[in-house]
Amino acid sequence: MPTNANLLPASKPADDDGLLCDLIRLTPVPTVLLDASLLVRQVSDSYLLISGASDRNALVGMQADDLFNYTTTTTTLPAFASARKVIRAARDTRSVHQMKCVLDTGAAWNLRAVPIVRHDHLRCIQMEFLDITDDHRKQLELEERVYANETFRILVETVKDYAIFMLDPTGHVATWNAGAQAFKGYTKADIIGKHFSAFYGKEDLADGKPERELRDALRDGRCEDEGWRYRSDGSRFWANVVITPVYKADVLLGFSKVTRDLTESRLAEQKLIAAYEEASKLKSEFLANMSHEIRTPMHGMLSALTLLLDTQLDTNQLELAHVIQESGDVLLQVINDILDYSKLKSGSFSVSQDIISVTDIIQSVFRAHQACHKPGVKLESVLDPHLPKSAEGDSLRYRQIIQNLLSNATKFTEEGYVRIVAKLIKEDDEFYTILTEVIDTGIGVPTGGPGTLFTPFTQFDNSATKRYKGTGLGLSICKSLAELMGGKIGFHPNPEGHGSVFWFTAKLKRCKQMSLVEALQDKTLSTSARSTALVNPMEEMKVVAADKRILLAEDNLMNQKVMLKMLIGLGFQGVDVAQDGKEAVTKALHDPTSYDLILMDVNMPVQDGVSATKELRDKGLQIPIVAMTANALKGQAESYIAKGMTGYIAKPVDRSLLIKLLMNSLKRKGPG
Amino acid sequence: MSASDDKSGDIMLIPGAEDTIDPATFEQILEMDEDEVEREFSRSIVYDFFGQADSTFKKMESSLEKKEGEYLKELSELGHFLKGSSATLGLTKVKDSCEKIQHYGSQKDETGVKDITEKESCDKLKTTIAQAKKEFLEVKDVLKEYYKDTD
Repeated sequence: MPTNANLLPASKPADDDGLLCDLIRLTPVPTVLLDASLLVRQVSDSYLLISGASDRNALVGMQADDLFNYTTTTTTLPAFASARKVIRAARDTRSVHQMKCVLDTGAAWNLRAVPIVRHDHLRCIQMEFLDITDDHRKQLELEERVYANETFRILVETVKDYAIFMLDPTGHVATWNAGAQAFKGYTKADIIGKHFSAFYGKEDLADGKPERELRDALRDGRCEDEGWRYRSDGSRFWANVVITPVYKADVLLGFSKVTRDLTESRLAEQKLIAAYEEASKLKSEFLANMSHEIRTPMHGMLSALTLLLDTQLDTNQLELAHVIQESGDVLLQVINDILDYSKLKSGSFSVSQDIISVTDIIQSVFRAHQACHKPGVKLESVLDPHLPKSAEGDSLRYRQIIQNLLSNATKFTEEGYVRIVAKLIKEDDEFYTILTEVIDTGIGVPTGGPGTLFTPFTQFDNSATKRYKGTGLGLSICKSLAELMGGKIGFHPNPEGHGSVFWFTAKLKRCKQMSLVEALQDKTLSTSARSTALVNPMEEMKVVAADKRILLAEDNLMNQKVMLKMLIGLGFQGVDVAQDGKEAVTKALHDPTSYDLILMDVNMPVQDGVSATKELRDKGLQIPIVAMTANALKGQAESYIAKGMTGYIAKPVDRSLLIKLLMNSLKRKGPG
Repeated sequence: MSASDDKSGDIMLIPGAEDTIDPATFEQILEMDEDEVEREFSRSIVYDFFGQADSTFKKMESSLEKKEGEYLKELSELGHFLKGSSATLGLTKVKDSCEKIQHYGSQKDETGVKDITEKESCDKLKTTIAQAKKEFLEVKDVLKEYYKDTD
């Protein structure tokens, strides 16, 4: 056989040549040498080692397929099928074939079959088994990493709604994405290598904000900020920025910076806030306007009524006029209640801190009620002698609560007593806590009622033929007022049988300077004494006038002179004069707090009194404006009131009427 | 304070005063005087009025004669102006006439209710201004006498 003949002479010198023998036997690559008929002619030591066979002679002479079957039992070598395929391919094509085999165990092998051909005859096949497990694993890892990196790269680069980029450890821009380009305006070439502080405004730069943010990020592992950032063209946007330090094996690689453009959401937010503010402003304006619009004619009506009551009326007329007055007063109270309530609800209500005496307040309210209480009801007051003579508080509001509770008590009590009790329950270095109780023997509160007592617009008598009038706001206003004074309000049934006890507490600040306090207190006492006793209206006027300023708008110099003289005679020291309506408007608006009242002639050149009044009202001036008019036309004077005047007085001005009107207007000014 | 308490004499006792002066209003002015003999304040007011009235009547007469532009409106305003001054002093007759001038000037009848023609206005204004002036001179005499002015 030519094949055998060819093989023998070749093997001879190989056997003889130790070098060739060593080449096969000692190669570190596990190798099997097969002859053309695929019989094993030689195996390397390394092959023996990995195949687990102990005896070379057992392997030599084996058919290749048997050899691989034998070796597969050790499971360290690749499957027989792969080796077989490579050998066959090498034999048939006479070219080098190799194949990578990955086993289930994770081991990887490179199988290489090298055909040795002499004179177009296949002499032998050198079969190598190279363990490439480690390389394979590395390759896999690499592939995986490349894949992941690529995915993230694509993700980051294509995101347009976020600017995502990396900074090096010193804060210079290292990467740039589409989003960053889209809303920062820099191209990749522009910005890479520049410091990220380029995005910040002057103020932030001066403030050292960029550096601080990196420091904060390093310290806290993250830094988030909202603020203005600048584009390449200098325009700015409202941004949310998150800076995170990036480490690899504890070495700082840099920072990732994610910036979101919040301009639109911020705009939407601002629009929402603006809309809300506008709505609430409109609401309060509406309330203020409405109450003003209602109160102005009410005041006019009531002042006219007061004047009417002083004229010669017969019994019938007098009775009717009294009915009008009473209803008008109630209506005014209702309007004031609603205004107070809406002010309290909107939080625009504040209590002043004057020097007050609780005893005085209670006594004054008590006296007012004493004058008109029902004959079957005994009105009593029990005042703790320890009540402070003076403390800081709001006398008007304190009075309002007592007034309210006391009138409730008298309203619902037909017989028995109404008692007002005030005591000092706590005293420390800063505050006096005062408990005021109003106890009555009236109809009381039905069981289950106390829960809703202080709820606005609630009244127990909701029947169509309501016996007791009111808005149901009184107690809820009292509650808010008591809370504003740092106190509480409450109810419990009268322990002496039927009736109610309404109580409230108030925390009043101690006065610091005693000498000043005493002086002020003297003043309070004397004024309250004056206002309660029936004194000469002229004297009363002088007391009220002392600190009031009046603007007199009158074009006729002669009348101006007379009015000035009259006002000074009434005790007004600060009277300013305007020659016409326009000057009156200018003067009154120059400093809206400078006048307490305006006396306005109706017919004046340049701008008449009615249009001046309208302008002042439109511009929000609330002080009383009294029209002076010689127009005897019926109904005309009344129309001035509808146009914003508080009251009117006929010319020639009668002094006692003027006093009445001024007293009414100036006194009412307070609560308004 | 009432008129009878007035030590320097009661103006209402001067002939002609009763119809032309409203005592309450005038007394109110008198009460503003600090010195009841000198009566500096009320005197100055009264003489201011004399001056005002003289010039106003002159303006009225010339305006009614020329009939230029919105002369009726101007007359109405002048009437209103003098009405205010005379009312302050309580010079009732002058005040009432001035009010009529105001109405006629705005082409209304004497009560200010019904419309009248321009011609009617002019006719009525002519007589009423003359009347007002006459009334003014009458009351001027009374006041002058009161202030012992012998000019």
